[in-house]
Amino acid sequence: MSTFLNLLVYGLADGAILALAALGFVLIYKATGVINFAQGEFLLVGAYMFYTAFVVLRLPMVLAVVFGVVVATLIGIVIERLILRPMVGESPISIIMVTIGLSMLLRALVQMFYGTSPMSQPPLLPRTSISFAGATIPLNRLLVVLIAAVVLTLFTQFFRRSRHGIAMRAVADDQQAAMTMGISVRRIFAMAWALAAVSALIAGVLLGDISAVDQNLASFGLLVFPVVILGGLDSVPGTIVGGLVMGLLSQFVSGYLDPGLATVIPYIVLVLILLVRPYGIFGETRIERV
Amino acid sequence: MTRFSRSGLVAGAAALTLVLSACGGNGDGDGGGAAEGGEPIPIGIIADLTGATGDVGKPYNEGMLAYIDYVNGQGGINGRQIDAKSNDYAYEVPRAEELYNQYVNDGVVAIQGWGTGDTEALSQSVANDELPFMSASYAEPLTNPEDAPYNFVVASTYSDQMRVALNWINEDSGGNAEVAVFHHDSPFGQAPVADGEAWISEKGYDLGYQAYAMPGGQANYVGLLSQAQSQGAKYIVIQNVAPPAAQVAKDIEAQGLDMTIVCLNWCANELMISLAGEEAAEGHVLVQPIAPMTTNQPGHDKIREYLEEKGIDESSIGVSWVAGWATMDVMAQGIAAALENGDELTGPAIKEALETMGAIDVGGLIGGGSVEFSTDSHRGSTNTGIYRAEGGQMVEIEASVAP
Amino acid sequence: MAATATGIHHRSYASELRLRATRAEYVRLALLAVLLVVVPFVMDNYWLSIINTIFIAVIGAVGLNILVGYTGQISLGQGGFLAVGAYASVILSDRIGLPTPLSIALAVALTAVVGTFFGLPGLRLKGLYLAIATLASQQIIEFFIRRDYGGFLTEGRGYINVDRLEVGPFKIGARSVFEFQWYWILAVIAVLAVICARNLFRTGLGRSFMAVRDQDIAAEAIGVNLTRAKLTAFAVSSSFVGLAGALTAHYSEVVTWEKFTLEVSILYLAMIIVGGLGSVAGAVYGAVFMTLLPVLIRNVANAASGSVPFLADQLPAIQNAAFGAIIIAFLIFEPRGLDRIWQRMKDYFRVWPFRY
Repeated sequence: MSTFLNLLVYGLADGAILALAALGFVLIYKATGVINFAQGEFLLVGAYMFYTAFVVLRLPMVLAVVFGVVVATLIGIVIERLILRPMVGESPISIIMVTIGLSMLLRALVQMFYGTSPMSQPPLLPRTSISFAGATIPLNRLLVVLIAAVVLTLFTQFFRRSRHGIAMRAVADDQQAAMTMGISVRRIFAMAWALAAVSALIAGVLLGDISAVDQNLASFGLLVFPVVILGGLDSVPGTIVGGLVMGLLSQFVSGYLDPGLATVIPYIVLVLILLVRPYGIFGETRIERV
Repeated sequence: MTRFSRSGLVAGAAALTLVLSACGGNGDGDGGGAAEGGEPIPIGIIADLTGATGDVGKPYNEGMLAYIDYVNGQGGINGRQIDAKSNDYAYEVPRAEELYNQYVNDGVVAIQGWGTGDTEALSQSVANDELPFMSASYAEPLTNPEDAPYNFVVASTYSDQMRVALNWINEDSGGNAEVAVFHHDSPFGQAPVADGEAWISEKGYDLGYQAYAMPGGQANYVGLLSQAQSQGAKYIVIQNVAPPAAQVAKDIEAQGLDMTIVCLNWCANELMISLAGEEAAEGHVLVQPIAPMTTNQPGHDKIREYLEEKGIDESSIGVSWVAGWATMDVMAQGIAAALENGDELTGPAIKEALETMGAIDVGGLIGGGSVEFSTDSHRGSTNTGIYRAEGGQMVEIEASVAP
Repeated sequence: MAATATGIHHRSYASELRLRATRAEYVRLALLAVLLVVVPFVMDNYWLSIINTIFIAVIGAVGLNILVGYTGQISLGQGGFLAVGAYASVILSDRIGLPTPLSIALAVALTAVVGTFFGLPGLRLKGLYLAIATLASQQIIEFFIRRDYGGFLTEGRGYINVDRLEVGPFKIGARSVFEFQWYWILAVIAVLAVICARNLFRTGLGRSFMAVRDQDIAAEAIGVNLTRAKLTAFAVSSSFVGLAGALTAHYSEVVTWEKFTLEVSILYLAMIIVGGLGSVAGAVYGAVFMTLLPVLIRNVANAASGSVPFLADQLPAIQNAAFGAIIIAFLIFEPRGLDRIWQRMKDYFRVWPFRY
């Protein structure tokens, strides 16, 4: 029992972070139709920006978070304006390649300025553990799940209630109609990228705290794909479910089966889902017109 | 301009370009060059400064270049300066191959590599091109001159380290314990696993033994730890680099488990301790053939001399730095012996010198003893030191242990 | 001034079947042939090794272009297919003892089969979904070659040392002639591959690939068997890539899993994007450009290391950053790649002194 509970908590923590990261991905896809291969690098940049603010500039934590959010927003807007705006209307492969190029550029820039050694950052979340039902559960993992849940709820409410959120949903649904209603599609695009960068920042900071602030954060980003395929590319609740499932799956595989499989099991699941139900659990079936 | 003369012009320009490049391009020496009297000794160095293993690759390279600087400052080897060409390949094997081709073209007489990736990729090439190759990849197959005639392994192999680790575990546990082996999920990680199991049956130890592959890029290793726990393991041998090992240490602490990590050389360093944090690393055992500065071996005196001269703080020098220094020392002594034997400095001459010169004194920096090769074995040393992480430092338990 | 091909009208079968359409094109082709023949005699070994690498990259890039550029199927799995070709060829020739040309041919066939298998999702999926499926195939293949279950692939060593290429009585020589001899083998194979790919798109099969890319549902409506076209595209493309993998194994004489990672897949994709999708010449240009780029950057950084040491210190990071930046720049400013740039240069001279 205790092993199961333990793995459950760790898996949920990883899954929550994955869900946060994937949320940004889905945001961009829903609003702009772009597949962002650089989502992992957004996590990386976000974590390093926070590190810069918190450790290098020695800002207090709240200010460091604000700094990180501001920088992330700026980066999102700049990328949308400079790189994605000229690519409007291009073929899917070109857009995919441009985000791949962006991912390499971002990763190389971080490497240039920070090196490849892990950055030592004082722990943000408490490192203590509590005992529960025979398992030793670390407090920081529980807090990660909590924080991620709060952020995800905030995002969901934003989409449902606020004007900008509804505008984003409108643009995601039908760009032409949204434009006729007076919604500035360009601003929505910029907002989508900015929000994606912010959610990636939060995910990156959390991940960096529970593991380490180093280049591995970017590789975490590749796991976003199995998550969104499982959940459905254009569904926010699907992303959350998908993220949690993938996190739990990896954790249980490493706990009960050959641990080495934990890296590859998300991709095997991905292939299976693609064969059986390509649009994911919650996704909408696309109707294609010739 | 008519169509005719336009194409004629183009053809003429092309021909001119070819002629010019023919004058300039040809004639840059090819392979396994010979360096003679008074001339600098060219050595090719392939390092990982910014790649996946850059956090230990950089100090290794710095230590190596420091040694070369030191020796050149003392007049070089037999009056000849070492001309070191050092480049970063960031653990991307095709880049290492490209650098190697370039070095061969530049006429180097020996190569210093770095990790498993480049060492394996180049072992055939250095054999064909007859260039002695040393690196920090201490894999057992490289010690066999029949398979890898030009590879020299200066420190104890991963398998020897594993044997020493198991001996220590056997002693520490009183003869009866379960051992879990966490290893990197790749050939590098798997290298000592089978040999460890064979050793247990050979020595008749009453040790349970189970290997688990460590998946890459994970934020926690609790899954493996829970499997090790159900095995009843009290000792965890880790064959991986420092960051994952540090994560295991942190997880053990977070879970409050009573397990001791026994790190093999790639995670047995100051980096692992600093990444895990002093508390989490406390009490874990580090199997490391290279002697850290704190152990004050005779070989450290020269290093101290150099550091003082350059104004470098000794506490910033880790085990990887010392490893680079010591490995270059072995090669330099081999080159010196080759120069004394004959007159032409070539790859085969250095190889022969290394194999026949007997014990090479490195001041106790490698395995606490000397390094010796022979025509049947390129295993330079079998001994290794055992340390424990105490108070954030590597504290010696045993200085030089044979398997 | 018919220096370039424009508005070509064929009045006979013979003229349509000709290799090139205008005289100027034949002249350029002849120059290229002369260049190919002269180069190994003037270049030193280091540059020859780079050129040999370029030849292998050309074969792989041309193959990938068949799939991505001409059939519109995005694939991120090239690293895995290169690995299949490499391991298969080496195991067949060294361990089982088949003659090397035969083992390479069998490796090519095996890669075609594996490629077809991983192309099955392509029947149901398009665009992004296919890209993700091939990403998954890359990760899965990489896992298997890294894990090496049962020590089957590498006999427990973790890597395979490949014997020097030997075809009947002829064996490649020592370092001094190694690059030179390989040059001829690779040049011939690369040229044949390019011609093969070019001719493929003159056939009905090739045109069906392009129909699938442009409007697959409409293509089905006019009678193109979609399943057959897509699977054949995967098979043909994978066989080119498998050939590149096998050649790389025999040329570099070592096979390790680290040479077949996701980065390699992305490198090949970058080659064809930068070179120009949907054009065989584009694939060649892209392969040359992307292979020479890191070398050029290194030379520039070393030359400038006196004044700007930052460049040399951070060289791999700069190479990667330049790589990403170039991909982005090409896609923003010239999405049809080097091929289009070359076309525009030719057009400029063609209509000079007019602007269009």
